[in-house]
Amino acid sequence: MLDKPASALRIRERLIESERLMDETGCYDGITELELRKQDPLKFETLHTKLRAYCVSAREMARRISASPGVREVGEMVVAIYTPEGDAIALSNGIMVHVHTMSRFIKWMIRNGYEENPQIRDGDIFANNDAFIGTVQVPDVMDVMPIFHSGKLVGWAGAVCHELEAGGITPGGDVALAQERFTEGLFVCAEKVGENDELRRDYVIRCERNLRMPIYWVLDEKAKVASCIDMRESVKALIDEIGLDYWMQVSKEFIEEGRRAQLARTRQLTVPGIYRGHTFYGHVTAGKPGYQPLGDPDWLYNIPIEMEITSDGKIVMDFEGTQPWGYHSMNCTPAGMDGGMFVTLTQHMNFEGLVNDGAWMATELKLPKGTWTNPDNEMVATATSWALLLPAYGVFQRLLSRSFIARGFVEEAFVGQVNSPMIEMGGESQYGTPFGMAHFECAAAGSGALAIKDGLDTAYVGWNPESDMGNIEIWEQNMPMLYIGRSIVPNSGGAGKYRGGCSFLSTWLVSKTDHLRLVTSEHSSRVFDNGGLCGGYPAPTCQKHRAVRDSNIFELAENRAPLAHHTGTNPYRSELEVRLEGEHVTLEGPYITAPHKTGDVFTHSYNGGGGYGDVLERDPVKTAWDVENGFLTKEAAEGIFGIVLDEDEEGFPVANLEATKRHRAEMRAKRLARARPVSEWIAKERERVKAADFAPEVQKMYASAIKLSPRFTKDFSAFWDVDAKSTFGVE
Amino acid sequence: MTSYSKEVIADLVAGTLPWPQTRRIMSAYKDDDRFFKYVAVLQDRVGWSDPILLPVGDHLFICQSGDERVTKCECGHSFGDYRKNWKLKAAIIVRDSEESLREIYPNSDLPDPEWMEIREFICPECGTLHEVEAAAPGYPIVHDFEPDLEGFYRDWLGKPLEPADKGG
Repeated sequence: MLDKPASALRIRERLIESERLMDETGCYDGITELELRKQDPLKFETLHTKLRAYCVSAREMARRISASPGVREVGEMVVAIYTPEGDAIALSNGIMVHVHTMSRFIKWMIRNGYEENPQIRDGDIFANNDAFIGTVQVPDVMDVMPIFHSGKLVGWAGAVCHELEAGGITPGGDVALAQERFTEGLFVCAEKVGENDELRRDYVIRCERNLRMPIYWVLDEKAKVASCIDMRESVKALIDEIGLDYWMQVSKEFIEEGRRAQLARTRQLTVPGIYRGHTFYGHVTAGKPGYQPLGDPDWLYNIPIEMEITSDGKIVMDFEGTQPWGYHSMNCTPAGMDGGMFVTLTQHMNFEGLVNDGAWMATELKLPKGTWTNPDNEMVATATSWALLLPAYGVFQRLLSRSFIARGFVEEAFVGQVNSPMIEMGGESQYGTPFGMAHFECAAAGSGALAIKDGLDTAYVGWNPESDMGNIEIWEQNMPMLYIGRSIVPNSGGAGKYRGGCSFLSTWLVSKTDHLRLVTSEHSSRVFDNGGLCGGYPAPTCQKHRAVRDSNIFELAENRAPLAHHTGTNPYRSELEVRLEGEHVTLEGPYITAPHKTGDVFTHSYNGGGGYGDVLERDPVKTAWDVENGFLTKEAAEGIFGIVLDEDEEGFPVANLEATKRHRAEMRAKRLARARPVSEWIAKERERVKAADFAPEVQKMYASAIKLSPRFTKDFSAFWDVDAKSTFGVE
Repeated sequence: MTSYSKEVIADLVAGTLPWPQTRRIMSAYKDDDRFFKYVAVLQDRVGWSDPILLPVGDHLFICQSGDERVTKCECGHSFGDYRKNWKLKAAIIVRDSEESLREIYPNSDLPDPEWMEIREFICPECGTLHEVEAAAPGYPIVHDFEPDLEGFYRDWLGKPLEPADKGG
């Protein structure tokens, strides 16, 4: 406990002492007994509820100050209150991934002697967006302010907004073309950016001169400072009420209580043991303009995860066997990995009681050095780390779900999150001004299925549990494009007894600009980066973009001829090709190409989630509703799910239960006739493995995993009965 | 302590419990007696009498079969010792061509079969599709779950299992 006046080195010593106590006792800050909780549990709980209310209220206020539609519409913001050592006590809703990354930021400053220089004083504002210090990616800009009471540092207030523009080599914040950190944009590396509750003018000028659209960043800074001041004053008033000693003790007990609650919940909801899963991410940029020369243009990443749930309820996630970091923007840092764990836990296990850093303390991440999860080079870019982070934590969700199913809590099983391809843009706005921004409707993809129902359609992403796509009209105010369509993509949820949530596709008309650069990211081309569970299929994720340059859309509109509002369901000829004249472009993976101008049409789609259970068990009646509403095609209902649909007198689909039963029996028989014993397949496939008869990207994936991971090498060799190293030419 | 009837748990597991009630269960404190009620519901569902020890999939269970503990399909087909990967004893369909992938993704963009295939693990007796893996060609088949069955019953449920002669 900080029971002496703040002095140089005092916080750093305190932090080291706190960690020592945790190591020795296994309890946060050495708190082996929750004395205050025992004394007066109602007071204890009430106080934490108050702290949470402070956070929620401060965030809501800040959202109304923010200029960014990302923050205002979609809620890309979170705030939290920390101990003097930087551990989260309470947090708001929002992008909770950053609660623990902010904790890392505060600890980083303490460890790096900030008490001495630049000093930590009442009214100071510190900002950071460096993922090696504590955040996920460059657009996640965090501000923290110390809380002093009676001359002592008693905590921190912190806030994060996801900025829509970061000044990198490509407009927006997920800087798709960043090859190293030097192309990612404006870095603020744990800097003191304000004093006496006010942002420094020189810092604001730096932002104004290094961003394409500084209004978002600068007003968001003001929103964050306002929320921090609000929380700080609330905490000080609370301390006046309960006393400083009580505050210093109770804030620590809250965290220890959170840690214990997480362990207890794991023991309550899961089954101990070893769980395994994997996912993949493939990237295709060969030949695209602007691609940087150091990295491989096309590559494939393997993300295997082994999760152990120990007998005391600890969750250990091990990423051994995954790929090395690369010269691309999709690397992550341990801070980002921590953030992914935190936001997943808060959604899937911490739905009661205190939620804070204690939950994170009941887990452990094993991040092999040199991989994308823990690069041994701090020059690497991390601007689109979500591209790998989201699939990885989608696996975590599936592994947790398997444990929920084993334990009987089927209502909590969730096939998980998917990647959320993002579109960003820059150039000249419809107002004739320079602009750059990310479009955040990607915050509403389709979720994975549940074990008792279909997934959420167009309503979920892993990184923001509020998951809102925002209003079309608001986005149109900010970009020189107009919506001419936003539609559900049929069959975009993974098939299964319960299907994954469907995604949507937006179709825009470029308007009132001669220079619009569109750049997209987080596309897993050529592979599925999500999965199904218990027989469910992954959702399709291979993304193609379709554009029409110099279209005749204005002429069609004038003649009141039909327009194309979506791409349609024919995979070989899109509705754009059917309806519009012009130069038709279909591009796989990220869209990086020459600028667009007025009259061009562009489409971008998002991902759906994986399915749960055997497709042949899907409810035919529910499927008829799905077909009627455009979530499934009739072709898919019959061909994949074995459901025969008739039409009623008004032409609406109706399930034919008898015909469905017969059709499914035939499909099951065909399935059995088509299948062969796994042992046979392994024997045949082994010959291919021995010859390493794979695409170059696949070969390279294996070679790099084998080079980095003894366990992967051992497992691969044992499974195929080969010498993995010599098979892939690894020294 | 929160508790629900076996009938409610049965409906929940079957996905037939009305949504408002399901939603309340999701939001409420968890029922500590869930596991054994859940197992009893599943036991009623199967047509065989081997006691279910742990569900590991939608239609896949670890059960006590004589003096062995095996992974068993709901139809009664045994995949053998529960500590071994049941998938290795399954039947498989591999979708590694555009044609076969298109059967599942009729209107979607497809992955490149040179980079990724779909493996369907099927009960060789009843044809139930138990699990789907999406993996790069050559990727070893994953052993999804190795439960600490003894520890679970002994330390977490407080009802130690009788020692088994074989299969755990």
